[in-house]
Amino acid sequence: MAGITITGLSTVYPNGVRAVDMLDLDIADGELFALLGPSGCGKTTLLRTIAGLEGAAEGTVGIGARDVTRLPPGDRRVAMVFQDYALFPHMTVAENIAYPLRVRGVAKPVQRETAVRTAGGLSLGGLLERRPGQLSGGQQQRAALARAVAASAEVLLLDEPLSNLDARLRLEARTFLKKLQRELELTTVFVTHDQAEALALADRIAVMDTGRIRQLGTPREVFQRPADTFVANFIGSTPMNLVPRGSEIIGVRPEYLAPAAEGLFTGSVSIVENLGVTSLVTLDCGEDQVGYVVPEDQEPAVGTAVTVAAPAARVLRYDKETGLLVR
Amino acid sequence: MVRRIGCYVLIAVVLAFFAVPMLWLASAPFDAKPGLGLRWPDWTLANVSATFDHPYALTSLVNSLVLCAIATVVTTVLAALAAYALSRVRIPGRDLLLYLLLLLSSVVTGTAAMVPIFVLMLQLGLINSQFGTALVIAGGMLPAAIFILKDFMDAVPRSYEESARVFGAAPRQVLGHVVLPVARPGVATIFVWAFVNAWGNFLLPFLLLRDVGQQPAAVLLRTLYDEGGSADLSVIPVFSLLYSIPVVALYLFVSKRYGFRFHGGVKS
Repeated sequence: MAGITITGLSTVYPNGVRAVDMLDLDIADGELFALLGPSGCGKTTLLRTIAGLEGAAEGTVGIGARDVTRLPPGDRRVAMVFQDYALFPHMTVAENIAYPLRVRGVAKPVQRETAVRTAGGLSLGGLLERRPGQLSGGQQQRAALARAVAASAEVLLLDEPLSNLDARLRLEARTFLKKLQRELELTTVFVTHDQAEALALADRIAVMDTGRIRQLGTPREVFQRPADTFVANFIGSTPMNLVPRGSEIIGVRPEYLAPAAEGLFTGSVSIVENLGVTSLVTLDCGEDQVGYVVPEDQEPAVGTAVTVAAPAARVLRYDKETGLLVR
Repeated sequence: MVRRIGCYVLIAVVLAFFAVPMLWLASAPFDAKPGLGLRWPDWTLANVSATFDHPYALTSLVNSLVLCAIATVVTTVLAALAAYALSRVRIPGRDLLLYLLLLLSSVVTGTAAMVPIFVLMLQLGLINSQFGTALVIAGGMLPAAIFILKDFMDAVPRSYEESARVFGAAPRQVLGHVVLPVARPGVATIFVWAFVNAWGNFLLPFLLLRDVGQQPAAVLLRTLYDEGGSADLSVIPVFSLLYSIPVVALYLFVSKRYGFRFHGGVKS
């Protein structure tokens, strides 16, 4: 068990791109940590640098009390699950799970025993003799997780762990993943571009853009008080309303807005989108468009004039020049 | 209807065209008076014992096996290592290098280089050496083998290797546990291809193995004529049959043991 300490870390690709740029980050022991950002923001590169698959140009990576910056991947005591799972196609599930032990020269019976025990814990018991090609997507994912668990590493790294599963399975796997992490109490870092996944799973989230961390915080902090307009735009299943007012940008989430006699925005209803239990209503307010969410049976008719307001604590102000949170 | 009959007749003719030599190979060795035509044989084993009594026939088959085994193993091992390196290392002009190698290989072992190769081997003292000849044959096959195998190596997902590395596998283990097994259909293909090529190679052994006791079957076949210059039909049919067995056997063995199959393990 160990936390991860990253100081002044830069990862530069041969073509000169600084995928990770002077980054500082502390991940606590036993934490479930999300690296969140749009594609190309450097989150996967950061994960690969922690694993040792990319070399650090500057800065250090520490796991527990050890400085692992110059260690090869195999000596860092990390386990990694790849986005495509990377299960070895010519080995059975049992051989795959036992592979970390085989590399270390552990005796065959112990390998087998570990594979059986680990597979049992991840409900793969009956599938030990199958090959990866004969497993469903969810089973492949669990087999890859089992292999990482069998490595008994100090840190677990997951690259887009849920992105290869279909929508329904993804929810199931998400719950499973969180439960597994809680049981193992293993420091876990996962990369995702799906903000909902990060909010649901993580203890803390780092929102990344162009190789830097834009905001670091708990899911609640990141959701309720985005540090800048980039994060505000990125987090939330319905995008945050960002409306310029003088030298500031007013930011308020559609979920916090409700019709009121007097309020922030007034406009006429232009579009109503059904989201299931709720509907997203879009108002035309002159130049700007403002969205707000209503319960399923209270949709206004298109063309009606509506005024919406939000509790003062939910209305954020950003600087127009820098995009940073003012209040 | 007429079209259909015509089609079947055509197929039958083509089939017969290819079947006749096979049938000859099956029947002529056991015929008391083998000819160049196809007929129902007068069964006998006299040809077999005549072939076995021939001073060089069996030796040449053993020579062939030794020569091909060395050439095939050298080609497969070196090509696998080189293809893996070329597939993974980024060097400028890599593809040009590969094409140049491929182009040169046809020149190097071709008739054009007969004299230089002979002189080279003579100065190295490798004339009449099975091993030396096998090396020249392997050298000629290597570029094409590397070229083909590189495609198979390119198809092995990097995440397999990275995954093995994170779990602590040394480069040697990554290659042995993961890359080669996954690229196995390619390696098996190259193995069979190299063997068949070496087995049928006439020019190089003919040039470099002057001692008839060292010559492989492909070269010896040329000497199975009587003084008048006509084919020695008591030996040639049996010899031809023996000559074709290893290639067929190897193909069947490799296809069964290392089958040309690929189990997908990457979710894409």
